[in-house]
Amino acid sequence: MADSTSTCSLVVIILDTNPAWWGRQSNHGNPKLSLSKCVDSLMTFANSHLMMNHLNKIAFIAAHSNFSHFMYPKRQQREVTDIDTNIGEINDGKYELFDRMNNQIKDEIKSLVLKNMEVEFENDSLIAGALSMALCYIHRMEKEKPIGVKMTSRVLVVKASEDNPAQYMNLMNTVFTAQKQNVVIDACILDNDSGLLQQACDITGGVYLKIPQPQGMLQYLLWVYLPDPSTREQLTLPARVQVDYRAACFCHRNLIDIGYVCSVCLSIFCSFSPICSTCQTTFKIIAPPKLTKKKSKKPTT
Amino acid sequence: MSRHSEEVLLHFQHVKNKKVDGVLYMMSERLAWMQSSKQSFTYSHAYSDIKAQKISADSKERVQLQLVMHDGSANTFQFNNPAGREAQMRDRESVKELLQQLLPKFRRKLSSELEEKSRLLQDNPELFQLYKDLVVSQVITAEEFWSTQGPKYSAKEKNEQKQTTGVSAAFLADIKPETDGCNGLKYNLTADIIESIFRTYPMVKKKHAEYVPHEMSESDFWRRFFQSHYFHRDRTALGNKDLFSDCAKKDEEEIKSEVEKKNSDPLLNLAGHKDGNLEEGYGGVNDDKRGSITPANLTMIRRFNQHSTMVLKACQEAGSQSTSGTSTSNGTHINGSMSKTSQLNGIVDNVHQPPQKKARIREKLQYEDLETGLDKDGVNLHLSRMERYLHGPTPLTSTRYTSTEDLISATNCVSAEIDTWNPDLTHVLHGSTAVSILGELSPGGALMQGTSQQLLNQMVPEDIQNELKQNYNALCELLRHFWSCFPASSKFLEEKVVKMKSTLERFNMAKLNPLKDKLQANHYSLDLTGHMQDLLSTAYTKFDTWQTRRMSRKT
Repeated sequence: MADSTSTCSLVVIILDTNPAWWGRQSNHGNPKLSLSKCVDSLMTFANSHLMMNHLNKIAFIAAHSNFSHFMYPKRQQREVTDIDTNIGEINDGKYELFDRMNNQIKDEIKSLVLKNMEVEFENDSLIAGALSMALCYIHRMEKEKPIGVKMTSRVLVVKASEDNPAQYMNLMNTVFTAQKQNVVIDACILDNDSGLLQQACDITGGVYLKIPQPQGMLQYLLWVYLPDPSTREQLTLPARVQVDYRAACFCHRNLIDIGYVCSVCLSIFCSFSPICSTCQTTFKIIAPPKLTKKKSKKPTT
Repeated sequence: MSRHSEEVLLHFQHVKNKKVDGVLYMMSERLAWMQSSKQSFTYSHAYSDIKAQKISADSKERVQLQLVMHDGSANTFQFNNPAGREAQMRDRESVKELLQQLLPKFRRKLSSELEEKSRLLQDNPELFQLYKDLVVSQVITAEEFWSTQGPKYSAKEKNEQKQTTGVSAAFLADIKPETDGCNGLKYNLTADIIESIFRTYPMVKKKHAEYVPHEMSESDFWRRFFQSHYFHRDRTALGNKDLFSDCAKKDEEEIKSEVEKKNSDPLLNLAGHKDGNLEEGYGGVNDDKRGSITPANLTMIRRFNQHSTMVLKACQEAGSQSTSGTSTSNGTHINGSMSKTSQLNGIVDNVHQPPQKKARIREKLQYEDLETGLDKDGVNLHLSRMERYLHGPTPLTSTRYTSTEDLISATNCVSAEIDTWNPDLTHVLHGSTAVSILGELSPGGALMQGTSQQLLNQMVPEDIQNELKQNYNALCELLRHFWSCFPASSKFLEEKVVKMKSTLERFNMAKLNPLKDKLQANHYSLDLTGHMQDLLSTAYTKFDTWQTRRMSRKT
């Protein structure tokens, strides 16, 4: 069916569904954007993407506070969705694919939020986990794609909650994997600027944008994120942000400008210690503190 | 006055300078000229200042001698002996001869300290700028400047000078003969050229040593050399009378020995080398056979080859001599014995050849990194915290939780919202918000800043950029002085800190503030001097803390 020149685009949307942030957002009186509105926007965006080309594909992953959940497409629920689509076809004249997808995402979101009420919540979401799921899915789709079809893949991360420095290593590993697989990572930031995602977008060549008006999220999505990376070159899009490439130190998890790196295990420290606490290597250099001690002793004697 | 203390080597009456008659004195260290009516020297040139001397051609009416100085100026003396042209010539010749002897001696003395410094400044425009900024504007003294900058540069110079200069391949061609109207040619030989000739043609040196003082004059020798040399150009028939004929024979032997030297490199195939080139479009190779075999061409090529060999050899010898005298003597000794054996027995030579060949081939074929080397026992990585090594910074667990009530209410809120949610995709976006967002995303909007931003180097004209650069250079140099004083452990350093502080203040007043005013007058949106002021204020605060601590310690 597919002719030799046909290309398709796979977009994996990762939505940060951390209930702590979304809930607090709506608690504070003026909700700029509720989770439901956000999902509505994303659904519209997904539908638009599917409409661009009939070979285009979409995947939807939720990054929850302590786990990542694959929402669309789902294998085990295929039979169920078949029934759903049957009903949908009877009901109205909607495009079956859109309807099936929208319904499934809706169901998944509901079950995700309502079923996980008792679990402990954190302020951050498992973006790194969701990203690796996305990369795995992209990899599978690359293998399964019909011969002759060229597929470009990208990941769109919609993130609201704070960064978790604990995910630094994992996230960076996935980012470099994405770079190797030519997967572009875009980030649409709703609230807290994310240093990690800034780096991710910079490394993979994606767009990082903190949107000033979350209630109009769809507009940003359609304007900035809908065009694929090859088209973006021809558009005038917001300028790249200056990326903060500071690393977190191993001892206090602070982001540091200048630090000490163990020459054996490459651990990063914000202050000098004669023994590396990760690999127990002893460093035989005169530590700066000793010098100051000597200096302070001299005048007293 | 100085006349009495110095030894006068030569002096001539009737030497005109700028049409005024006077006396030319040649002293042990300088050349001076005195107007005949005066008692003091009008001109006095130290020999070390003189770069070269030039003499007028014999055909010219006036007999003149020109001195060219190192700074490019020149001074001309006319010999005006009333005894006639012969005497004038004689006078000039004696001056010339003496100068010829003296100038090379003084050339060595040229690199005196001051000269060296001025040369450094001339060679390094950046250093010169720094010098102007710091020393000329009295920010630091010249001594301080040289004490820090001097070693850096002179060390660099020394490294460069270590290499011995070889002999230019074109040194003979560079001696441009001047025709003197008749059928003669005139060569100007400098000491350098003579040196090169000696180095490339050791036989000539030997001859020179044999003949020059005893049997013929210096100029006679060189005349003969050039005559013979040019005669040798197509050396097909050798005249036996020539002084250098046995040189030629020696050369002949030299070439033979060079040719006979077996090329030990089996990978090099000189015979397979053809004088031809690939045609355009990489067509077939055309062997260029025409004309290249005439005997004249062959001798020409042979002479070129010989000349090149000699030039290269001269270089080699110089190198080995300078490194170590003993190694060369050893080397020649070994070479001598080697050649002896090969002369004695050709078979021995053949026996010797294969291992060499093998070694050479092995060298080309074997790669160290491909061999299965011995596994070295590396240092084991002792990880005391495996998880940290694998995962990087470990998360803080406790502090990241906010109050549980807050969380519970938040989650309840979300679940309530989601519970009642039904996607309404047709009302996701209001028209008005969409329009305002489009404004943000259009050129000139809030999010589009930086897309069409001018680059800084386009905004600021070049002269201002240069000025800024110079000021940065100067300031950084001063700050380097300042910070190098810490920790101020000695009395000297303490004094220097105080001095540097005042220097910095002076710099701020004399350089930075005018620059700042100038920039303000030009209305730049950016604060171009802000960083420099930051640097200064950091230094000031450091100084203040240091001083207060010192004061408290004293009291």
